[in-house]
Amino acid sequence: MTGRAPDTLFCLHFLGGSARTWTPLVEALAGAMRVVPLDLPGFGDAREESGYSVDAMADRIAGAIAARSGPYRLAGHSMGAKVALTLARRAEDGDTHLAGLSGLVLVSGSPPSPEPIPEDRRSRMLSWIDADSETRAREARKFVQANVGASLPSDLEDLATDDVLRAAPAAWKAWLDSGAREDLCRRVGVLRTPALVLAGSADADLGPDAQAALTLPHLAHGHLATVDGVGHLLPLEKPDALARAILDHAAGPSEPRAAPPTIPPGYADLIASDRVNSRLRSALNERAAADDPAYAPQALDPVELAILRAVFARVLPVAGLDAAARVDARLAAGRGDGWRFIALPADDEAYRAALRTLDAASRATHERPFVVLAGDRQDALLTLAQKGELAVPPALGGRLDADRMRFWFEDARADAARLYLSHPAALARLGFSGIGAGGDSPAPIARGLPGFTNTRLDTPEPWEPKPWKPEPSKPLAEESAR
Amino acid sequence: MNLDAMRTHSEDETVDAVVIGTGAGGAPVLAILAAAGLKVVALEAGPNFTPETFAFDETLAEEIYWTEERLSGGSTPEAFGGNNSGTGVGGSMLHWGAFVPRADARDLRLHTETGEGVDWPISHGELRPFYERVEAFLGVSGPRSYPWDAERRYPLPPVLRNGPAELMAGACEARGIRWADAPAAVVSRDFESEGGPVRQGCINCGFCHQGCRTGAKASMDVTYLPLAVSHGAEIRPESFAHGFERDRDGRIAAVLYMKDGRERRQRCRAVFLCAGAVETPRLLLHTGLANGSGQVGRNYMGHVATQVWGTFDHEVRMNRGYPSSLITEDFIRPEDADFAGGYLIQSLGVVPVTFANAVARGRGLWGQPLLDYLGRYNHLAGIGINGETLPCDANVLALSDETDARGMRKARIDFGYSTNENRLNVHATKVMRDLWEAAGAKDVWVLERVAHTLGTCRMGHDGDTAVVDPYGRSFEIDNLWISDGSTFPSSLAANPALTIMALALRTAERFLAVGRSSA
Repeated sequence: MTGRAPDTLFCLHFLGGSARTWTPLVEALAGAMRVVPLDLPGFGDAREESGYSVDAMADRIAGAIAARSGPYRLAGHSMGAKVALTLARRAEDGDTHLAGLSGLVLVSGSPPSPEPIPEDRRSRMLSWIDADSETRAREARKFVQANVGASLPSDLEDLATDDVLRAAPAAWKAWLDSGAREDLCRRVGVLRTPALVLAGSADADLGPDAQAALTLPHLAHGHLATVDGVGHLLPLEKPDALARAILDHAAGPSEPRAAPPTIPPGYADLIASDRVNSRLRSALNERAAADDPAYAPQALDPVELAILRAVFARVLPVAGLDAAARVDARLAAGRGDGWRFIALPADDEAYRAALRTLDAASRATHERPFVVLAGDRQDALLTLAQKGELAVPPALGGRLDADRMRFWFEDARADAARLYLSHPAALARLGFSGIGAGGDSPAPIARGLPGFTNTRLDTPEPWEPKPWKPEPSKPLAEESAR
Repeated sequence: MNLDAMRTHSEDETVDAVVIGTGAGGAPVLAILAAAGLKVVALEAGPNFTPETFAFDETLAEEIYWTEERLSGGSTPEAFGGNNSGTGVGGSMLHWGAFVPRADARDLRLHTETGEGVDWPISHGELRPFYERVEAFLGVSGPRSYPWDAERRYPLPPVLRNGPAELMAGACEARGIRWADAPAAVVSRDFESEGGPVRQGCINCGFCHQGCRTGAKASMDVTYLPLAVSHGAEIRPESFAHGFERDRDGRIAAVLYMKDGRERRQRCRAVFLCAGAVETPRLLLHTGLANGSGQVGRNYMGHVATQVWGTFDHEVRMNRGYPSSLITEDFIRPEDADFAGGYLIQSLGVVPVTFANAVARGRGLWGQPLLDYLGRYNHLAGIGINGETLPCDANVLALSDETDARGMRKARIDFGYSTNENRLNVHATKVMRDLWEAAGAKDVWVLERVAHTLGTCRMGHDGDTAVVDPYGRSFEIDNLWISDGSTFPSSLAANPALTIMALALRTAERFLAVGRSSA
């Protein structure tokens, strides 16, 4: 290879870890990539440093990054991932000290949204960190053991336990009490930086489902990979697998995205013809343009937008049309349709509450977020909503009752369907000729527009696009046999 | 419309009348008063569009719909916006369907006939000359003879029959039901009304509801409003009326309105409130005026407007041609009815976005079945009714606790069918299903729908039970007049715009005759 030198990889550790957490990865990547592990304030060699909020941690890391030269990537593990995402936001917003960020590696990341830690585990972790040294030693080891899929080699387990004990208890508590709870969902928004998201199949809280629901929505070019048999501590558990994934991701092309819906040549010719007026032609071309994969939602937050995309994938299965983003833009612009069901809150709030309710229903029923459910299970939940039977108790996260979910799903279906038929590819599929009823005319009251001469049954004019044909009555087997 | 050469008035000048709203209720009033030499100013909440902006597209046409939010409740919540409410110079008439049956005489004395509903305080005989004047002025196209009214003559020949109309005509023939080309306020050949531009004969583009590009459709911006302006009326677009100033006698002395982000005030001797059956009562409730009867906002009505859809082997292409080009009035009084009143049936062609909205909501389709069904667009056709809705205590427009961007409380409309509407709906659905079966439709389904906005400021003989007298004049404030669908005591089976315009002429002429004497 004669290409440029590989990017430096800055690595941010998990709660209770330190720069040392990455030693196995440094070895695994030796010769392939320059790896710079860093300590977060309160941990490892930085245990005397304060500033435990996500922003404060990001500030410290920003200083270290600013001192390097050349492009770089950021790896964040668990807590470190939230810091990495915050830094990526700053970099994409133009922070010159952070220029050159070329990729993210998020390992069992704590998401921008509040981390889903069960309260009993949180309080348990808070309870022993200030205890006597014997308890601390015992609990620290149990903490490490509870976070792996299979037991670590004893030297690594000792090292990890020692790191936990080295951590400043104040930093530990600050993360559990506030850092992990910080809601940066809207602030992190949607990042364009290519990102590899890794999850352990045996991770209790931040496994593949959580990453799909809470981390991927922030990544326009994110790829999620699950490592089997691994818990929460991938850099310690399978450093070689981690190294391979990083190298593959660095080398591989980003995944292809669905192209926008195709407008058949004949219909494109009609749009370009003088039968179509200029204002409509511009509008159709604008609607036909590809959606921005990094569309930043304004009415919804990125997690909700991901749920809406999952809903619309079932409601409006049209590849390459980001109906969810378009609906969000409409909601944000406050462009309503002049009315709403009185039972529902304002349109944007109704969407947010309904999407969260749907997700809560999925978690209550299947113990998985809606976005990762198989299509038939998603359909089953949407069917319940349509019937007015999707009831989720508020204690489980339900925000709209069954009746309101029915009203909302009616609105959502209508929004999707209207949006679809404003797209020229959809009009082409229909063989819709109305766009060609009249082109430009200089007169305020148009003269000489063609309109239609034939309006009766079975009298298409020669220029009209081909209609839908009724299904062939012959069975398919016979067709293909010919 | 072109307002460049329009006469203007100063806000300090006390004009003879301010007309609030430029749709079917306001535009004819403005024209009649201006033609009589009065100084008149119309306040229109929406912008002034020119036909050049009408682009044969439903999404682009959203700008002509009234999209300030209303809250819909009740057992059959009604859709507003593009369903029935417009904005801009010309009001909802910019997007109306131009389907102009006259009211059936029996519908105005329904209570006498059936014991149900109410009688109108005016007779059909009184309305008839006004109907004829409106039809002649607008250039209504219709059949040479009208099967349900032997004396009726339309000024222009009918517009072309389209695919759905052909299917419905065939079905009616098969079932022994009389049918006719629809009366449509769309000129079937070039036409010029007094004071207006030359309007092109309909080009059958099918986009009546998105604003007419050729002026064929008799929206107010090519008919009564140019006439009004030619006689010196002033139209102020983007002027939202929100209050009144009153003199010591309680009469209205000025209208307060917002324009360009600033509150303005137009002094006047009389006010015509013509903002439609939602905004008119909303403004009265907001200002607390003219509601001694307690009737403002009461008896809100939408028409029963159920549709039946089917798929045909024929290539229908229902977007082509005037959308509702066939009518039957055979069910205005069905023989086997177990309800009061009746309905008319029209053929239906609908453009794609409107149709998709109906399918997603009303048929409940989504996913691949939705895409597959919409894909059959060129083979679909519908029929629909416009059916009587009786006034009902439970159907009320009130002010919500939510406010709009101006701080004005939003309208909340509770609407639901009662027994009579439900029975009528069952009857009509059976008839329409049968017709579509006769027409050869497959995959037939029913779309429940409510249309139009009516009632809330009913007219009557008695100020204790009505808001305005039979001419639209407030019982309480003698220089306040209402001219729009809000004064309807019952819905009538006919689509309302023609009747609103006929009543508007009558109101304006009554004002000229007696309204100014007390000023």
